[in-house]
Amino acid sequence: MSFEDNYSTHISQQFNDELEQIRTQLLTMGGIVERQVNDAVEALLTGDADLAERSRRIDQQTNEMELQIDEQCTTIIARRQPAASDLRLIIAVSKAVSDLERIGDEASRICRHAIDLADEGENQRGYQEVRHIGNLVREMVKNVLTAFARNDTEMAYRVAKQDKAVDQEYRTAMRLLATYMMEDPRAITSTLNVIWVLRSLERIGDHACNMAEHLIYLVSGQDVRHASLKQIKQAARPDEDS
Amino acid sequence: MTSEAKTHAIDISAMQRDNRVLNLEDETCTLEVKDLRLAYGEKEALHGIDMKIPKNRVTAFIGPSGCGKSTLLRCFNRMNDLVDSCNITGQILLDESNIYDRSVDVAELRRRVGMVFQKPNPFPKSIYENVAYGLRIQGVKKKRVIDETVEWALKSAALWDEVKDRLHESALGMSGGQQQRLVIARTIAVKPEVLLLDEPASALDPISTLKIEELIHELKKDFTIVIVTHNMQQAARVSDYTAFMYMGDLIEFGVTDTLFTNPSKKQTEDYITGRYG
Repeated sequence: MSFEDNYSTHISQQFNDELEQIRTQLLTMGGIVERQVNDAVEALLTGDADLAERSRRIDQQTNEMELQIDEQCTTIIARRQPAASDLRLIIAVSKAVSDLERIGDEASRICRHAIDLADEGENQRGYQEVRHIGNLVREMVKNVLTAFARNDTEMAYRVAKQDKAVDQEYRTAMRLLATYMMEDPRAITSTLNVIWVLRSLERIGDHACNMAEHLIYLVSGQDVRHASLKQIKQAARPDEDS
Repeated sequence: MTSEAKTHAIDISAMQRDNRVLNLEDETCTLEVKDLRLAYGEKEALHGIDMKIPKNRVTAFIGPSGCGKSTLLRCFNRMNDLVDSCNITGQILLDESNIYDRSVDVAELRRRVGMVFQKPNPFPKSIYENVAYGLRIQGVKKKRVIDETVEWALKSAALWDEVKDRLHESALGMSGGQQQRLVIARTIAVKPEVLLLDEPASALDPISTLKIEELIHELKKDFTIVIVTHNMQQAARVSDYTAFMYMGDLIEFGVTDTLFTNPSKKQTEDYITGRYG
């Protein structure tokens, strides 16, 4: 059955509005979190402690949005007893906001390290890796939100694929930074900060990938958590023979 | 200490057993419907239904008014025979023999396939006599046998504790929920194989409804249950399998969990999510 991007065909107009509202709010929250991630990476790379501080303060907003959207989801379940794609939408949104909130937390953590590192000047060792992985992860967050906006499982699959690339880059960067620390023990403190940043970026990638999996569940009805990339591909492209 | 430590370990396989996935293919079937067509005069109400009703499971029929779900349910114990101008073709096999064969004793069929209706219909007799009625019709005379069966049926219908001290009072003095459970007790007293429930809780309050639903869950251990309901949440709660019917066709029939989370047909999706068809 083809999935229709349409929450306006219920007999109850009020139900249409409620479903549309949680979707819109998810995307709004996504926009804020996306900015948080962008600002965190920028603040770190440019040594802008003020930007890092401002970005950290936004995190409170995403926390509140998580609570608000979750409460709306609970209310819809209690009042409407949704089924099929409506139920999957609520489950997917509720899980996705939780991932978004965690992405916000990781961005906040990056900002904290950015403030510490700002005192030590730019061009720390490992910044090139931060820039590279940061770009990949920012792309993932952007893509997964676009996928949610369009119910695009193909794009969600691409996000899952990007996560594998991020994991690979992260492992390589870790090896490199370990070598730096062995070569120059004086740089251990600052390098550890960079390692925590990379760790946060990698976690953001994981959360974006989780969101992609929730979207595939929403659209196809198949739970692809803990599934292989091949299985995710099959769920995302049901019309295509394996 | 060791056994205490063991209780903290998570037994994943037990969780998987509890959530075992039902599969229609693996079920033994009690009733099998083959190309069943039913027409009231010129108007065909069922357009060739094929399905298998699994044994010791609850199968729910859902669909909008006039879709044929009650008509199909009534075919299972030939209640439609009572309707003039009703013409039926095709087969319904109960334990592999066609219930529409000429040789079939319809009274015996209705003993094997009992039915409970929307509105409780106790006889204007005592509680005891209501349940004993079917046994007496069958010619059972021994008081001990009747006493035991009445007690068993009332206990099975979760009614015994409420009525054991007033078995010989009129059944008409009972509440609607109690009357409906009494009717269920009366139906199961003759030990049917299949229990047909036509919107059994639609005239009851929420608490009585929950009692009936709980009862359905208990009764499926001994009987194959088919229920027609307009309440989709009720179908989702009580049934193992759900059939969605629309305008005399069986649109989708499958495991209830799947049908309510990820239906395969758009018509089913539209109906259960309350969309315009």
